[in-house]
Formats: sequence, structure tokens, C-alpha cells
Amino acid sequence: MTTDLNSTASSKWVCVALNDLQQLNSLQAEFNEAPYKQPPTQPVLYFKPRNTWGRDGAVIEQPASEQLVVGASIAVMIGQECCRVSEQQALDYVAGYRLLHDFSLPEQSYYRPDIKGKCLDNSAPLSEAQLDTTVAANPSELTVVTSVNGEQKAALPVTQLHRNVQQLIATISRIMTLQPGDLIAVGFPGDRIPVQPGDQVKSEIIGASESVILQNSIGEGAA
Amino acid sequence: MRRARVLVNKGEQQGIELDITIDQNDQLHTEDGELLNEADVSWLSPVKEPGTIFALGLNYADHASELAFEPPKEPLVFLKGANTLTGHKQDAYRPDDIDFMHYECELVAVIGKAGKNIKREDALDYVAGYTVCNDFAIRDYLENYYRPNLRVKSRDSLCPIGPWMVDAADLPDVSNLRLTTHVNGELTQEGTTADMIFDIPFLIEYLSATLTLQPGDMIATGTPKGLKDMQPGDTVVCTIEGVGALETRIVSEQAFYGDKY
Repeated sequence: MTTDLNSTASSKWVCVALNDLQQLNSLQAEFNEAPYKQPPTQPVLYFKPRNTWGRDGAVIEQPASEQLVVGASIAVMIGQECCRVSEQQALDYVAGYRLLHDFSLPEQSYYRPDIKGKCLDNSAPLSEAQLDTTVAANPSELTVVTSVNGEQKAALPVTQLHRNVQQLIATISRIMTLQPGDLIAVGFPGDRIPVQPGDQVKSEIIGASESVILQNSIGEGAA
Repeated sequence: MRRARVLVNKGEQQGIELDITIDQNDQLHTEDGELLNEADVSWLSPVKEPGTIFALGLNYADHASELAFEPPKEPLVFLKGANTLTGHKQDAYRPDDIDFMHYECELVAVIGKAGKNIKREDALDYVAGYTVCNDFAIRDYLENYYRPNLRVKSRDSLCPIGPWMVDAADLPDVSNLRLTTHVNGELTQEGTTADMIFDIPFLIEYLSATLTLQPGDMIATGTPKGLKDMQPGDTVVCTIEGVGALETRIVSEQAFYGDKY
């Protein structure tokens, strides 16, 4: 169903990086080296600030002389104030599931926060459609599929996440109290997809009786 | 003009949110011209609808060397959630089972006008005013992924801000303001904004080259040298000359969260 978004200027759109288990495993050797020195022990989190928030159908402009890449994640929509909840209770605080595209510059390093790469205007479009928890009681049955110009480029089942939805809500809600309108993008495929001006990017949540679709295109206007 | 937001109780009505101004004699005026006693108000974050909170790491050369880092060649910017904000004279908590939590006294520029690709020369036209924040850090939680990571820097209550915002027009030059921090009355941190590596006009130009700054966005500009561990029961006051003195009480995690602990 389509639901109004409760986000305000102060809402938190929290993304979880490095949560694709295949990607995480493939980077273990690198993560034992400098500057990381050891693999992450906690979820690796970043914010998409409000200038990045966009809508289904939005056209994303590619910054001049930069490569743009995209990843899609399920966006867990918080339905009520969520503070220090257990994994067992976590799903009670979820209003539903949407899709988020994270358009960014390719990441060379995970060491420092990546404002230049991850905070481009309109780089985080969110689907208007939402799978309510009545329709998708178990997020582990969901998969996100992404295609570019009709060709499938990525598929990430929730079961391939290193930390699942309940674990993430429990951990994040001990760092920050989550509010209605906040969201957690729980995991992106490790390989972000390069896109070019004119490309059509479409993602879909499959595995429930209703589907959620998010479509964006890359603008031709960038000089 | 100094502008703040407070909660007051009026008879049966609890927790009424008011925009107030503070005059030269430190008297608190409501928009209806009423005078308030400071003892009767509870201070809120002075920014009514806080937007994106940008914060700077290692933006004072002496602090960078204190932490054994080379001064950065490009600003080290991280983002903070609005859950971190709390007002003057409010509580901030020390997590259980940590060894080192420290304050960071910082000058905050509050954006008043939207802009992209803002030039350094024009940057201050986009600043509505200035306030003080205390950008606490939990060093035990540092990990080398998006460092300083959200677990260190986006915790509830760990960015007190205020007491008020001073209009930019009343503070045309912020390039050499004295910063001090006192813990339980003892001076523990001292510096000047003159020692910032990347100043506010630079930061506005830098950030707006990537993204559109909007009213209510804030830039917390980093802290000078002088770290000290904080314990429940401590009172910490961060003062910036010409802006204000922000007081915070440290409580335990259990005292802060109460029933939710």
C-alpha cells in the first residue's frame, strides 16, 4: 500500500554498510590490515541526511566527471518510538518495509565518513509503496532485486545479511532512540552497480503477496 | 539578539514550548512580552527544527596532535542524529562499562538560508547565528569504519546545545573567540577559534559544493586540546566568548533511561 511518510527535518535515515555477508567475507583479509586493523565488531552505519531524500520516479543527476553507483536496500520504517528494544520485540516497532536506492560515488575506503560520496542531493529516493507488517510478517522471506535498463544486476535476500532486521533494530535502538518517520536501510549488495546518464534503475521487493517497486533514472543534463 | 526555546508549566498546562529572547540583562522575554524566571524554565535546543548536523573532527591542530593524528588536509566531517541534541542544564549520560568519555566544546554555525555551491566570500550570509555545543565522544566505541562512527557520536543526549543562538548580525567576527571548558569548576580546556584549521566560510563552501545546505542545518566546528574523562555527578560547562555558557550534568545510563534501562 501507499502510505504518507512521517519524516521531518529531524528524522534519521540510517543505512547499514558492509552487511552483505558475501562482501564482508571477501573483505576479511583487507580488514585485518591498516587502517582498519580488525574487521568491524559492530554494525557499520551511516546517515543519509535530508538533502539526499527523494521519491519514487526521481531523476538523479550525475555529478560532473564522477562515476555514480547505486545499491538498493529494504528500508525498515519505524512506526513508534523505539528505545533499547530487544530482538524479540523489535518487529513490534516496525510500520512496514519500503525500498531505498542509495546513489553514491564509488567507495575507495570505509575508514572515514564519506560526505562527498554519500550526501549528494536527491541521492536517497524512497519508495512510496510500503509492505505493511501484516503483509510481510517475516522480513527474512524478502529479497531485493535490482535491474538497470531491464537487465537484472543484483539480488540480495535478507537471509544473506550478516545481521538481520531484528538484530539491527535492537543494536541501533541502544545507540539512538528511533522515532516514527525514521528508517533503517538494513543492507545493500556488496557490489554497487555503476550507472550512466539515461539509465533506468528499478528495484523490487519480492517474497510477499504484494510487491514494492522503486524506479529512478539518471539525468542526461549533467555536463 | 539571543534566541532560545524553553519549556514552561502554566498552571494545569505542563511543558508548553516557547520561543524566547534574552536581553542584555539576561532577562527572559516571551513573544507575548511576558518575563520568565530562569528557575521556571527548562531549556531546549535553540534550533527549532534541527536539520542535518555536520560535525568536524580534528579541526584544531593542537587537538589533532593530542590524539596523535596529523592535521587533516581536507575536513573530516561526520553527521550526527537529532536524538543527540539536548538543552542547557539538561542531563547527558555516561554509558556503563566504558573507560573514557570526554566533552568537546564547539562553536556551532546555524544555517539560515538554503544554498548550494556557496563561495567563501558569501558564506556568512547563509549563517543565521551561532551557538555552543558539547559534542561528547565515547572513545571506547571507536572503530575504524566511518570513524568517528555513530556509536561514538550519535548517542541520545550526547550533544547538548545552547543555551541560545546569537544572531549572526550581532557577532560579525567569530574568527578569534576564546573557548573554555570547566568540569566541576576547574578549567580543563582552553583555546581560541583562531586555531581552527578549516574556518566556517571554508566549511560552508566545502559542504555546499557537494550538497544543498538548508535552514536549521548546523555545523559544529570541532574542539581544541584538553580532554578529560567524565563521570556521573560531574557538571561540565562549555563557554564561548560572546556566545554563551552551556552547562550539562552527567548521569549514569540507568538514571538517564529510567524505566527503559
